[in-house]
Amino acid sequence: MLGGAGTAAISFSMPALAQQSAGRVVVVGGGFGGATAARYLKRGNPKLSVTLLEPARRFYTCPFTNLYFGGLRTFEQQGHGFDDLRKLGVQVVHERASDVDAKGKSVTLAGGKKLPYDKLVLSPGIDFRWGALEGYDQAAAELAPHAWQAGPQTTLLKKQLDAMENGGVFILVAPDNPFRCPPGPYERASMIAHYLKTKKPKSKLIILDAKDTFSKQGLFQDGWKKFYADIIEWVPRAKDGKVVKVNAKTREVETEFGGKHKAAVLNVVPPQKAGAIAGRAGVTNQSGWVPVKPQTFESSQVADIYVVGDATIAAPMPKSGFCANAQGKVAAAAIVETLAGREPPKASWVNTCYSLVAPDYGISVAGVYAVDEGKLIEVKGSGGVSPREASDDFRKLEADYGVAWYNAIAQDSWGTVSG
Amino acid sequence: MLKICIRKGLMHRTRVSLATLLGLGAAMLAAQPAAAQTPADVAVLAGSCANCHGTDGRSPGQIVSIAGRPETVLLAQLKAFKSDTPPPGTTIMNRIAKGYSDEQLSALAAHFSKIGANAPASAPAKKRSK
Repeated sequence: MLGGAGTAAISFSMPALAQQSAGRVVVVGGGFGGATAARYLKRGNPKLSVTLLEPARRFYTCPFTNLYFGGLRTFEQQGHGFDDLRKLGVQVVHERASDVDAKGKSVTLAGGKKLPYDKLVLSPGIDFRWGALEGYDQAAAELAPHAWQAGPQTTLLKKQLDAMENGGVFILVAPDNPFRCPPGPYERASMIAHYLKTKKPKSKLIILDAKDTFSKQGLFQDGWKKFYADIIEWVPRAKDGKVVKVNAKTREVETEFGGKHKAAVLNVVPPQKAGAIAGRAGVTNQSGWVPVKPQTFESSQVADIYVVGDATIAAPMPKSGFCANAQGKVAAAAIVETLAGREPPKASWVNTCYSLVAPDYGISVAGVYAVDEGKLIEVKGSGGVSPREASDDFRKLEADYGVAWYNAIAQDSWGTVSG
Repeated sequence: MLKICIRKGLMHRTRVSLATLLGLGAAMLAAQPAAAQTPADVAVLAGSCANCHGTDGRSPGQIVSIAGRPETVLLAQLKAFKSDTPPPGTTIMNRIAKGYSDEQLSALAAHFSKIGANAPASAPAKKRSK
């Protein structure tokens, strides 16, 4: 049909195709971005043929695994299946996409099969720059977990935490920007400190940071002072916090100016890049991330490939599950309209991100985003973080809304509230 | 908690001074550029609400459902969030509502009021131009 065409302009001459199928869309990755894109493609036009490629039968979200470390949730509660998307008519294939032929417009599955597409959505998440931090490769991650992709890494870190003696030192190595979930390391520190405070009160938690500032910093530090003054120590880069070498076997790390630290449990959040399939598709640039056209999230390098979520360069939007979901909807709407021969709709996004500092103490950051003169912008006057001065009731409400948010977005993405 | 409060004064004020109009104009400029919105535009605009309020504004949990509520109620609430004195108990909606022009808020209120099923038994939302 359109197989050999390979250019964006062709997608407007679709009436012949519309007779059988309104178009074939393949979505790679079943996380917040991909699951949402698949759902909203089908909602936007049920006649579209939509195939979702996701190796896992059950997808575990990174968001809310910090509460698992804190002992407030089970790991399974972050798991989501794909039955609801199937019910909607999405073909869910549990295979890995191993390659993309952007010219021939097909995706190759790990088993060798090729899937043709008119439009492709990549929601590949992140991969790690193994070795960019000396001593930290895949083998090292089995000893000093990153737990920055939910799965066996998450349960491994929890096991190590559970096995740690009372009085042990937990070290969290935080990366430089950009990385998945900017407040994530600091919520993790909070939740692990909560666990230590309640179960192993003689223990300490040290954050060795490659940065001097971080997301929701004032709010986190207020909370740490209130709840974990004797437990959490944050070491910014300016105070020699940047880790440059890891010895995963001995759980020792070395910092920029020669500082040495030994941990009982070592959690390294390493430098990152877009998920590997993005590189195969030719949509990444030298930074390792994916530049996109803000209006549609179509790759600015390869026509008919849309990329959403953490893999993209979408600043000022952060790399969050909320943004991946919001971008998935914008890309889906653009694809639906474009395949029908209409202009893509006006883009609009929100981000809301809750972090839990203690069981009844939540904080948030929000932002509203739009396109202005071809650039992605945060709408002036919108957004910002929770007030520094707030009542206990306010913090409790934000803690509760965090959970409510998770259930709402999980339902909006996978159709399931909680595992 | 997040009570829907209609401020009668706000709703039925028909005479607006020139200064207020100018102020409103400036506020709209400060937000997003206003232009005609197609149904697809509004659907995208509304898409972000689902992330907390549930798909189509039907909430699965503690955050309020917004589907099927009267348009006037939704709009009054959104405008109250956007104002400099948001309703008591507001946590995050003031920060979000300030990201939208009044025209966009009107479009969102109309959009969610028309999504049915769980609509309250009250009279159907009246069409109301600003």
